[in-house]
Amino acid sequence: MKLDRGGWSNFRAIAAYAVAVGSVAAALAGSRWLDIHAVTAPVSLLLCAVMFCAWFGGFGPGLLAIILSVLAFKYYYAAPVHSLAADVKEIPRIFVFALSALFAGLLSAAQRSAAQSFRRARDDLAGSVQELERSNTALLTENAERIRAEEALRNAQADLTRVARLTTMGELAASIAHEVNQPLMAVVTNADTCLRWLAKDPPDLHEAREAAERTIGAGHRASDIIRTIRALARKSTAEFTRFAINSAVSDVLALTSGELQRNDVLLETELSAGLEPVSGDRGQIQQVILNLTVNAIEAMTADSHSPRVLRVSSRMAEQENVLVAVADTGTGLDPTTADGIFDAFFTTKPDGIGMGLAICRSIVEAHGGRLWASPNSPHGSIFQFTVPVAGSDALNDPTR
Amino acid sequence: MTRPDNDDEATVAVIDDDPGIREALRGLLRSVGLHAEVFASVQEFLGAARPDLPGCLILDVRLPGRSGLDLQEELARANAQRPIIFISGHADVPMSVRAMKAGAVEFLTKPVRDQDLLDAIQLAIAKDRARRDEERTLARRGADFETLTPRERTVMMSIVGGRLNKQIAAELGLSEATVKVHRGNVMRKMRVRSLAELVRIADKLVPAHNRA
Repeated sequence: MKLDRGGWSNFRAIAAYAVAVGSVAAALAGSRWLDIHAVTAPVSLLLCAVMFCAWFGGFGPGLLAIILSVLAFKYYYAAPVHSLAADVKEIPRIFVFALSALFAGLLSAAQRSAAQSFRRARDDLAGSVQELERSNTALLTENAERIRAEEALRNAQADLTRVARLTTMGELAASIAHEVNQPLMAVVTNADTCLRWLAKDPPDLHEAREAAERTIGAGHRASDIIRTIRALARKSTAEFTRFAINSAVSDVLALTSGELQRNDVLLETELSAGLEPVSGDRGQIQQVILNLTVNAIEAMTADSHSPRVLRVSSRMAEQENVLVAVADTGTGLDPTTADGIFDAFFTTKPDGIGMGLAICRSIVEAHGGRLWASPNSPHGSIFQFTVPVAGSDALNDPTR
Repeated sequence: MTRPDNDDEATVAVIDDDPGIREALRGLLRSVGLHAEVFASVQEFLGAARPDLPGCLILDVRLPGRSGLDLQEELARANAQRPIIFISGHADVPMSVRAMKAGAVEFLTKPVRDQDLLDAIQLAIAKDRARRDEERTLARRGADFETLTPRERTVMMSIVGGRLNKQIAAELGLSEATVKVHRGNVMRKMRVRSLAELVRIADKLVPAHNRA
């Protein structure tokens, strides 16, 4: 029995009590009719009314039906009949009837409440299932969203790699222009000289030939430089080949020689002979070397006093790796931020975007190598990376 | 006293870190009969023994170690300047202004037109020759000035200062006749015929002597 707030619940409660009164009355009428016309005292109809009321209306209407039934039983079936006064002999019979009615009513009410809680549980379950379905749909949408975002991130990273390379190239543009212009100047001057020897009377063919040969040599040198630049600026997808790390290092250093001279940096190289060829994308590895070299030059030009020495070395390292080290005598790493230098968007340069070292590390790791930094003695820093030699197990899946 | 310069004896010093360019320039200069000395760096140039001949310098602005512009300033400070022709990979305006202000003959960009370079070289050598002639004349006049007695020098400075014999005699406590004798000696020893000529020589000589 619940007194709920809603009008519908109130109505239902009142209806349940009315049904209790009605069904007891109906059972009584049925009993009386049978009593008069056929058999004697079929009181079980009253018990049926109690059970029905308790089942239909719950404990409250059931109790009402029990009370009414007991009163009706006393009035019509226990002596003295047609009176509510009780004969002492009849009390056990009345008591037994009352107990049976109470037992039947309570049992019905309990069954009703069990059925109700079962229904509630079933409704709850249905609600939970619906909820689950909703969150599942949301999860699926979210997942698709995440896959799209990851795709976008990958694209952005590829773009950034290209931008970072172009930025590095841009920083070097003046130096590269100088490198290309030098042989061009020699080409033009030698060709002019050749014409001058030919224009003499008589023409000096020996001198003219020498000038023409110098022209050819300078032309080849210009094309060598352009080939190196093209290898660096190439497309961004990795293309794995076997190559000698020392030649990759030398090409990059040739490109930066103008930059080194302009900034008064002394270059020391110690490239071990007899290194095994490595497997990887030559352009990407060169980009790493270029980035580290440009960083080293910048670190040294920030401080105008110390001697500026850039030391680039290569050697075999353990576990079939080739190690390349770029050491400078610059400002060195700040120990408080040293851990973050390889993170994306970490920069100490006023106009840096902080992608250089992050991209270097991702390139080296995609090759199955490692890139790390340590302090140089007495000052400056050393950046070292490893690349597995061709055919070793450490090599990653080349399709990456 | 040095002998007068001869056209064949001009030398052109080339300082460029690129061996290809050094050889190309040496070849070009040889084709027009000029002798070139090539150096890879400013240090190498300063360390080399240079013959005392008229000539000029062809410098790359961007050189290892000390830059061409720094060398230009250093030579100017040491009062040992030679006309300089700058060659640069990229002509940026502030750089060329700085070079021209410091007395460069020409500022050319690579690749250089041979005729532009040869014209600049001729101009530079002519300039150097004129400067050397001037220096030699000045040295000769300086030697003449050294032959004057202290009293004659005092009289000479007074004359070029625009004073009359009478005023000089009064200032120095001499007779006008004695001043006239000193004046005659000054004109003879300084090998000049007119007062105007003496004034011109004194103008050049005095600051030069003060510097020395």
